[in-house]
Amino acid sequence: MTAEAAATTAGTEQPSGAGFPPFKTESFPSQIFWLVVTMTFLFVVLWRYAGPRIRATLTERRALVQQELAAAQENRRKAEQATVAYETPLFEARERAKRLNTQVREQAAEEARKAEAEAEASAERATREAEERLARVRSEAKTHIANAARDAAMEIVERLTGERISEAEAAAAVRSLQGA
Amino acid sequence: MAINPMEQFAVKPIVPLHIGHYDVSFTNQSLWMCIVVGAVSLFMALAVRQRSVVPGRVQSMAEISYEFVATMIGTAAGEDGLVFFPFVFTLFMFVLFSNFLGLLPGAYTVTSQICVTFGLAAFVIAMVIVTGFIKHGIGFLKLFVPHAPWYILWLLVPIEFISFATRPISLSVRLFANMLAGHTLLKVFASFVILLGGAGGVLSLLSVAPFFLIVAITALELLVAALQAYVFAILTCIYLNEALHLHGHH
Repeated sequence: MTAEAAATTAGTEQPSGAGFPPFKTESFPSQIFWLVVTMTFLFVVLWRYAGPRIRATLTERRALVQQELAAAQENRRKAEQATVAYETPLFEARERAKRLNTQVREQAAEEARKAEAEAEASAERATREAEERLARVRSEAKTHIANAARDAAMEIVERLTGERISEAEAAAAVRSLQGA
Repeated sequence: MAINPMEQFAVKPIVPLHIGHYDVSFTNQSLWMCIVVGAVSLFMALAVRQRSVVPGRVQSMAEISYEFVATMIGTAAGEDGLVFFPFVFTLFMFVLFSNFLGLLPGAYTVTSQICVTFGLAAFVIAMVIVTGFIKHGIGFLKLFVPHAPWYILWLLVPIEFISFATRPISLSVRLFANMLAGHTLLKVFASFVILLGGAGGVLSLLSVAPFFLIVAITALELLVAALQAYVFAILTCIYLNEALHLHGHH
């Protein structure tokens, strides 16, 4: 502390403090008196007047900021809620649409399968019927041919020999020729 | 020497006044104490005039000083130290404004008087002692007994006591010496400017050098002014903390 040293040196140089005003003791009562007066005044001003007012302002501001923050928080919460409220039906609708889509596709596939099976079955039936008819026609044709051959045989025999043979004999003869 | 740098610290009576056989004349120093107190009061009055939610410049400054001191007490002396807020706030504002206003040319620096700073420091210590005894009774004396083995206590207790007893001196001399030294320096360099300026010729031109030094030192003194006010207030808080919590656990 050089300044302190300087102060003390200055004090010791003039033992009575004659040349160094801060050490002139004769002014001390006045200094202390006015210090007490002014400090007391300032203390009262700051303690009773300024202090409480500044504190009130600060408290008010803090409360206001707190309040605004709480309001903002509340608004945020509401907005989030609204978003949820908006998105939930949207999501549900999308889900339902998806479900319907699958359902319809499955249904269509099922119907297609059924139609295919039916078509196949009817085609098969038609084929079978056609084949049966063909067989029937073929056998009828065979019978007709056999009958025609029999009649022809009877006619031929009658013309050649003048004899009439019975139908059964002619048929047997035709059958025996057919078998050969 | 033509210009005595100590002359600025002289206490000169303006209105002679006596109470009993004490001379309590209204002096230039008393005047400046009144100016300081008036300036702080005016500042505060302007600051709390509007009390708006979004503060203006003056209100903001007052609120910053208020919160600065409140935080300082809170951290240095704990929450229960806040009962001393008006006192510490008064001390801080008084010292700060004294230091700042003292830097105005022609102004008188109240805190450059050892009598004033010692008066403040003695009051602080007296309050610490009274608080300590009210709070802890005779147990306040444990302040002089640190946590240490018994065989070195015989050495530590006197040291603690001396360090406590010298506090009003260190607290007051620190502020007083800083203010005194700064203003003496300013005055010395200011006298150089005048002496060189009056010498004529090249020397007159040289007087610019100490002038710029004064500007630089004034800037430094602004820092010192604020710093010393802070130091005075924070030490007050630390001493109050000891009175409230003895060995600093708050």
